[in-house]
Amino acid sequence: MAVNGKRGYRSGLLNLGVGEISREIFVNEDIYAEEQERIFARAWLHVGHESQIPKPGDYFVSSMGEESVILCRDRAGRIHVFLNSCRHRGMKVCRYDEGSTTVFTCPYHGWSYGTDGRLVGVPYFREAYHSRLDKEKWGLVEVAQLCNYKGSIWATWDTAAPPLTEYLGDFTRFLDLQLDGWDGREGQAEVLGGIQKWLVPCNWKFPAENFSGDTYHNISHRSVDLAGIGPSGAGRRDMGERDASRKLHVCIPDRGHQTILYVLPAGKLPPPAYMNAPIVAEYFRHCAEERRRRRGDESRLIGAPGEIFPNTALLSRQPRTMAAWHPRGPHQTECWRWFFVDRDAPTEVKQFLRDYYIRYSGPAGMTEQDDMENWNYAHAASRGTIARRHPYNYDQGRGTAVADYEYQGLRVPGEVIDLTEVQSSEQPMRNFYRRWAEFMEADDWSQLATWRSGERKAAE
Amino acid sequence: MSAPINVRDLVPGTSVVLADGAVAEIVTNPGDGMWLFARYLTSPRDPTLVGQEEMIFAPDVVALGRSAVV
Repeated sequence: MAVNGKRGYRSGLLNLGVGEISREIFVNEDIYAEEQERIFARAWLHVGHESQIPKPGDYFVSSMGEESVILCRDRAGRIHVFLNSCRHRGMKVCRYDEGSTTVFTCPYHGWSYGTDGRLVGVPYFREAYHSRLDKEKWGLVEVAQLCNYKGSIWATWDTAAPPLTEYLGDFTRFLDLQLDGWDGREGQAEVLGGIQKWLVPCNWKFPAENFSGDTYHNISHRSVDLAGIGPSGAGRRDMGERDASRKLHVCIPDRGHQTILYVLPAGKLPPPAYMNAPIVAEYFRHCAEERRRRRGDESRLIGAPGEIFPNTALLSRQPRTMAAWHPRGPHQTECWRWFFVDRDAPTEVKQFLRDYYIRYSGPAGMTEQDDMENWNYAHAASRGTIARRHPYNYDQGRGTAVADYEYQGLRVPGEVIDLTEVQSSEQPMRNFYRRWAEFMEADDWSQLATWRSGERKAAE
Repeated sequence: MSAPINVRDLVPGTSVVLADGAVAEIVTNPGDGMWLFARYLTSPRDPTLVGQEEMIFAPDVVALGRSAVV
């Protein structure tokens, strides 16, 4: 494997001009190790949702890259994210998934930390340390920046990273589709139930790429669509709204975020859905009308699978979930999936959606099982000496993206490929990997925040 | 040496005798089996501690004083 001294990811491993990417970036252990430093220690990462920690003392143990972190609300109600590692000898100070506490106590030697991260308890402080240990200096390591965006909690270890909304850029509009209420009110989402977590034997970039907007793999889900796991007992729930819409790939080129997007014609509401469950159908019909009243033309946007660089996936419509692809070595990914509902939706709606979501997504979900099967075997079949000599192909739709896309008066940001006729492109993947290479090559955020200098970058 | 006391079971209001002879009343028990938040009632070694709230490390608790009514 040749990564030259100047980190020639683009010149040596990614050749986006012809749509080729080396398999090395998925299976090479040196590259994986470098990703932890250059991507996961610098990017904004999704940690959790405020509805998981509603009261002072509540915590949820999450992950940032390989590292365990504690998302918690202190006694004053402030939200923090800490490295889950004692400052004395590194033991995890919290080994539960979630709960409520007054302190995080290390089980090794007993150092104890408040929910604000301060070191509050040191065994034999007077006797062994002669009261000289500076407790202020030895609190839990806290993230450099934290942002609560409409209830979703994001953090970065890099003090120089731009604010989250600047990091997201125009993609904020698509994250809003995830977090705002179905009726168009801001920030109405709450997490439904617990977080599903499971391991897949593949590199973390397989799911990240897939959720960037891989429409080409729909054949993998053919059997599920034939079986009909939709809530109406046949086909997919969303075929009506999909068939009525323009289907787009949208890439934010200088940020590395991308998504599939559906855009309804002007003046058209989503067709009825959930017709076998009258309460649910009525709820969504009402929400669609309210949404159009509140958001106007913007309500024509229908979210679909998307990816916020590097490892957060959105799926705002069917079902409504977010996922994080946590790296666990070059050959393993720990997938976490959050399911969302509007917090003031009727109980019947929440119960109905819970069943539907689980049937569709997650480790027991019929559709996600198809995906895991693909990532699992694709990764395994790319590790061998011979396999590594042959790059993957990312040729679809090269050179066909347009800026300033508009459909019946509604402008869509970023670079867009209209898939309605062409069915598929690999522009989102090229956008994702271009940003990946920039992170791997750049020394700091002055080189990564290219938009600040007005330097506009295309995805290829 | 007496058997160790399981501080995890102690409820707020209980008083405990500490290794240096001080007596403290439990204010909060975080339930980690290692620490108690307690207020000093007496402290022969350092009288300035009386009335102060501190974290008490489990091995420092050598005996139980008055039990809280629960």
